[in-house]
Order: sequence, then C-alpha cells, then structure tokens
Amino acid sequence: MIEAEALTKRYGSLTAVDALTFGVEPGEILGFLGPNGAGKSTTLRILSGFQPPSSGRARIDGCDLQDASLQARQRIGYLPENFVAPPELRVGEYLRFRARLKGLKRGEARQRAARVVETLGLEDRVRQPFAALSKGYRQRVGLADALLADPPALLLDEPFGGLDPVQRQDFRNFLRELAGQGKAVLFSSHVLPEVEEIADRVLIIHHGKARADGELARLQQRAADEAPVQFRTSHVDEAFLTALRGFLLESEADSLQVDGIQLRLRPVDGARRQALFRWLAAQEVEVAEFRTLTPTLEDLFRSMTTEARP
Amino acid sequence: MRAFRALLIREVWSLSVSPFSYVLLGFWFLLNGIFFAYLLASEPIRADVDVLPQYMFGSGVLVWLLLPAFPPLLTLRLFAEEHRLGTLEPLLTAPIRDIEVVLAKYLAACVFFLVFWAGVLLQFVVLGSFGANLDWNLVLSGFYGALMISLLFLATGLWASAWGGNLLFAAAGGAALNFLLLFLPVLFDQQGNPLQGIAHAMNIPDMVDRGFTVGLIDSYALLYFPLLAGLFLFLTWVRLVSRRWVP
Repeated sequence: MIEAEALTKRYGSLTAVDALTFGVEPGEILGFLGPNGAGKSTTLRILSGFQPPSSGRARIDGCDLQDASLQARQRIGYLPENFVAPPELRVGEYLRFRARLKGLKRGEARQRAARVVETLGLEDRVRQPFAALSKGYRQRVGLADALLADPPALLLDEPFGGLDPVQRQDFRNFLRELAGQGKAVLFSSHVLPEVEEIADRVLIIHHGKARADGELARLQQRAADEAPVQFRTSHVDEAFLTALRGFLLESEADSLQVDGIQLRLRPVDGARRQALFRWLAAQEVEVAEFRTLTPTLEDLFRSMTTEARP
Repeated sequence: MRAFRALLIREVWSLSVSPFSYVLLGFWFLLNGIFFAYLLASEPIRADVDVLPQYMFGSGVLVWLLLPAFPPLLTLRLFAEEHRLGTLEPLLTAPIRDIEVVLAKYLAACVFFLVFWAGVLLQFVVLGSFGANLDWNLVLSGFYGALMISLLFLATGLWASAWGGNLLFAAAGGAALNFLLLFLPVLFDQQGNPLQGIAHAMNIPDMVDRGFTVGLIDSYALLYFPLLAGLFLFLTWVRLVSRRWVP
C-alpha cells in the first residue's frame, strides 16, 4: 500500500534520507523510529507529496507520487507534526472545507465530517475555533482531517505528541481499529513504549539510513541472541573463574563482569548461551539465577542509533 | 475543479470575515471619500465634471499612492500568513494542484478588491443621482483601467506573499515592487534615454492618462496588464513549487 524505493532526499551537501526502501501492507501498522534529525519527518513529507525526493520512487496504493501525484494524495491521510489549522476557523467548518478540498461532494463532505467528528469524540468542539482547542483536541482534529476522505494509507508524524495518558490509550485503540479496517498505517514516534505496544513492525532509521526493519518480536529476538546473560552462583572463587574463562570464547571472556557472586557476560549467540547454561550445571556450584537480559525496544533503539553515530 | 472551488470560496470567506480586511476597506473608503469631496469642491471639476474620472482613476492620489500600497496589504496573508501559521503543509498535501492554489487565492483577492472599487464607483452613482451630468463612458473606462492596474498589483502582492512567513516583507515588498512598476518607466521614458522605448511600453500612468481615463481602451493596454499579472502569477507558482525543495 505504501512503498518507498531507494528514497533519497538531499539538501545541498546534507543527505536527510539515504536510499530508504520499505513498504507497509494493508492492515499493517509500521512504527517509524529514529532520533531527532534522523530523517523521519522528511520521509513522511515525501510520502505525503509535500516534498519531492531527490531520487527514488514512492507509491501509494500503486500511484506514483511523482507521476500521479494527485491520485496518490487522494489516497493519503496525513497528520503533520505539530498540526495546525487556520485559528479562526471552527472545527466543523474546517473539516467540511477540507473534505471539499479532498474532492468530496457537498453532501458527502458534510456526512464524512460528521462521521469523523463522532469517531474522534469532537461533537462538543465542532463550534469552537481551532485556536481555542487544547493540544489533545488539535491532534484529534488533525487525525479527523487525515481520515476525512477514508484513505487507504495513513501517515502520522508524531501523533502521540501532547496527548495525555487517556488520550494516548484512546489513540492507540483507534489506530488498531483503523488497521483492522485494512488501512496501512505508518507513524513516527519518540514514545517507544507506544510503538512497542501497537506497531506490527518497526523501522529504525538513523542519519537517513534504515538500521533495522522487521517485526518487533523478530528484531527483539535477534537482539536477544546477542543480549548479555546474568547469573548468580553459590560461590565464586579463583578456580571457578579460571575454569569459566577457559570455557568462554575470547570475546565472551572480554565481556565478563564479576560483581561478588553475580556475573554478567555476553555470549556470541543463542547456542553459546545454552552451552554456558549446560557448562554451569556441570560445575560444582549451585546456580541461583540465570537470565537473559532481553532488550526492550528502547535498548534496541539505542544500540541501533548509537553504534552508527559518526 | 471541486478542490479549486472549495479553496476559492474559503479564501473569499476568510477575507470577508477578517477584521484586518475591514480596517483596510475603511481606510480606503475614508481616503477616497475625502479625495472625492475635495475634488468636487475644486475649481477644475466645478468647471467641467467630465474630468472627474481622470482625477479619480488617473492622475490622482488614488492611483499614485493608494493603489500600489493597498493590494499587497490584502494579499499578504494569502501565503505569508499560511507559512507563518504552518497551515501551508496541510494545504499542499491535499489533492489540489499548486497552480490551482495560486489561482484560487488570486481570484479570491480579486473578488474582494472589487468591493474596494465598487465603493468608488458608488460615489459616481450617487453623484449622478444628484443630477451631475456625468459621461458614463469616461467613468467606466477609467474604472476599467483602475481594475486592470489592480489585477497587476494583486498579482505582485501575491508573489511577495509567497516568499515566506514575514508579513512585513510581504506587504512592504509588494508595495515597493508596485511603486517601481509605476514610477520606474516614467523616469526612463524621456527623450534621448536609450531605454525610452521599453520604458514607454511599460509606462502605466501614460496608458491610464492617455487611454482609460479619456475613454480610449487600446488593445496594447488590454493585453499588457493581464499578461504582466500572469507573469507574476507564474512566478508565484514557481516560488510555491520551489518551496517544496527546501527543508
């Protein structure tokens, strides 16, 4: 539904987005992660048709954003970061205007505006000017705008910004519902637990390049394979440590940290982790605890975006 | 076309409810009213009322001072305000062509500026109703000339507005450009000046004084204003497209 192919954006000597290739299928929610300046908003602006790429292609529902820009834009619901509507316009007026701008007939525009108002709980705000709304309600108006023409693809730039916990929960549920209706949802966020909770897949970018792209569980598994293990034994003496170092590979031995009877090291893979567990079981020590420090999305995010820092 | 119509209506409505538009309109009517009353009391008009359109639409304060300044004040919000507020991004990601955005905003400004001129025309209507023997051909051709200049100055104002979110720049830049278009050709349209040919072809006061306000509408002037306005609309479109290339 949303396809990016070697998408690149340069501003003079600065490459904001560097040969980014990914796709979002109908019914899928892709969380788009990256530190500030990673190129997330630029990518979303390209996909929304606001900015053209320097090279590469982008397609929405099969419509090329450069060759068939209007058709592609008709299939997109876009919520920009810091969404703003004309301050003097009332919510209802704004939504009806936007529906007409998106090509809906007058009656249809009224109906769709009424429907998104109801869906997003804006009934008691329709007569208020945009300037009088709180941040949370402004975001809702932005999302209502994105949903007006019932587009198959949604691009949401930091949609959770400024929302309180209840609004966030509502918003998460709503995104799930939209994906359930077959919409492809691409959203960027800094709120990692949010991404962890609702994204089917995550795409982590840094300096405009994709660092990781895949199902969250799979990425976490990959990271878990390389995650450190922590174990506690009944006693640790020189003989035990010498034997342990003898068992460990060089890189594993280098990562060994000893803190009293608690030890931590990083096995090279899952098989080595199991081998370590078996080795410990065969020793004359009692193993009180043996656990893998499974990385959270935050750990994953940090490792993807710090090791590549120039 | 539906999107174009929606934007046009929205822009006209937006201009119609903006307090700033009414402040401008009030000043325009006030200054024109004072000028009109002053002219009526002046000796040349008392002697021959037929020269009144020439003073109102030609060699008067209206065209020389007010007209270059007012259109940019009206158009400044059309792009500069959108840019300042951050509403340009939702607009330009809607399924509407950039040229339609430019034309809808321009037409909206033109429609609203008609109200400015309608007030001036109303003064002539009122004068006629009091029994003044007006030559309506002169009034209407002078009025038409003033409209043509307005079309041009609204287009330059729109172009100035498309340069960014600085409202002062949009207003001052547009007005400065209009004054240059008005006065620069007059300065160079002198015997012996190597640029006289070009300057004469662009001499707006000359076109007005020798054409519109004396009842002559020549085909050159008929083409000159729409074409030059078209050029500035094209430049506005180029500016809008080029904005998409910057962060």
